[in-house]
Amino acid sequence: MPQLEVEGKAYEVDEDGFLQELDKWSRDFAQGYAAIEGIEGVLTEEHWKLIDYIRNYYTQFGIAPMIRKMCKDTGLSLKQIYELFPSGPAKGACKLAGLSKPTGCV
Amino acid sequence: MGYDASNPMKDRITDVGPRDYKEFLPPVIKRNFGKWLYHEILEPGVLVHVSAAGEKVYTVRVGGARLMSITHIREICDIADKHCDGYVRWTTRNNIEFMVDDEAKLKPLMEDLEKRKFAGGSLKFPRGGTGAGLTNIVHTQGWLHCHTAATDASGVVKAVMDELYDDFGRMRFPAHVRISLACCLNMCGAVHCSDIAILGVHRKPPMVDNEYLANMCEIPLAVAACPTGAIKPATVEGKKSVAVNDEKCMYCGNCFTMCPSMPLADEEGSGVAILVGGKLSNRISVPMFSKVVVPFLPNEPPRWPQTVEAIKKILYTYVEDAKKYERLGDWAARIGWERFFEKTGLPFTEHLIDDYRFAYTTWRTSTQFKF
Repeated sequence: MPQLEVEGKAYEVDEDGFLQELDKWSRDFAQGYAAIEGIEGVLTEEHWKLIDYIRNYYTQFGIAPMIRKMCKDTGLSLKQIYELFPSGPAKGACKLAGLSKPTGCV
Repeated sequence: MGYDASNPMKDRITDVGPRDYKEFLPPVIKRNFGKWLYHEILEPGVLVHVSAAGEKVYTVRVGGARLMSITHIREICDIADKHCDGYVRWTTRNNIEFMVDDEAKLKPLMEDLEKRKFAGGSLKFPRGGTGAGLTNIVHTQGWLHCHTAATDASGVVKAVMDELYDDFGRMRFPAHVRISLACCLNMCGAVHCSDIAILGVHRKPPMVDNEYLANMCEIPLAVAACPTGAIKPATVEGKKSVAVNDEKCMYCGNCFTMCPSMPLADEEGSGVAILVGGKLSNRISVPMFSKVVVPFLPNEPPRWPQTVEAIKKILYTYVEDAKKYERLGDWAARIGWERFFEKTGLPFTEHLIDDYRFAYTTWRTSTQFKF
């Protein structure tokens, strides 16, 4: 499996860059990965609000939240989510949050 | 300015949609848009439409392999430039249509199309696909590109069309015959509503990769993906995973779609089912779903002889026996399915009896049947 080096640490990722060892996630990983994903500068409070929300939801329910749920609970519109994470809630936010790759007919 | 990877949102254009189709209409079509009076099929693969203004447009329909190279598309463009002032269109069954506005331009176009062949000998642009005959097979990705395929798409389609080729260029059937293929029961395309449908199926339950499952999959999604409730969460050797009840599994592969750690494709287990009798139009009878008549045939690349043989048997029994305008489903419904199996010689097995949820309505609640 490919390795990705973030902030001097190596992580196992799949070919799309999704973390394969979910327990290795840390805030440093998210911040380091954001630079690779084309998000400029340090992650803002709003970025973290979404990332933390996704991680909490995943810990509680074992799945990524549905978009509507995500928007409703965080108060962010889908448009705002795309402004924060240009590749979108799944490929962007969930990837930084260290969730497994979205599946199904995407 | 080229794409700048360090600044991906710079100069980004988005949400512009497809080009307006009117930009690409041949002038004769544009002039007579919404004013057509009638049309005729002059010969297999050739149509003429006549407008209220008396203008005519001739259409030559040729088969396309659907998957094609840019080289091939350029050749299509060259033909369109040469004969059709640069205009061409694709149909909803992935045939290609060249249009001319003058009968004098028709013959040179047809002669040009006929003589073009690939190095292996296959016709590049076989003419046909009109009227009560056979047209292109709507199909999917298969082993070329999809990860859930139970059979191939392009390979089977080529094998079937080669065997039925003569009827692509003829119109001797009782009604349209629509054949389609899907390589798994996601049924991308039209297999659930086609006269004859080829469907990739599995016969073995998924192999659960307990080692990686928890990291690769959202377990509740895999559990909820199962139509028969055969999957439940489980802890295997201290790791979160799932357990599959093989007795309940019918090998649909939905769980693999949701969870990459549950693959089920198998060289011997996976193969082809054949469905018949579906249709989409409302002509005479209402639209119908296609029904399974052959539960399984093995994958036999590269030519799938048993699949081809079964399709020929079904198709030509229908062609011999049905009345004019009767689609395959209309014919089977009229003569009764027991006669369908008798006439086609297909064996009727327990696999064909519906047992999914409210299957009751598909059983016979009548004494009316033929011995």
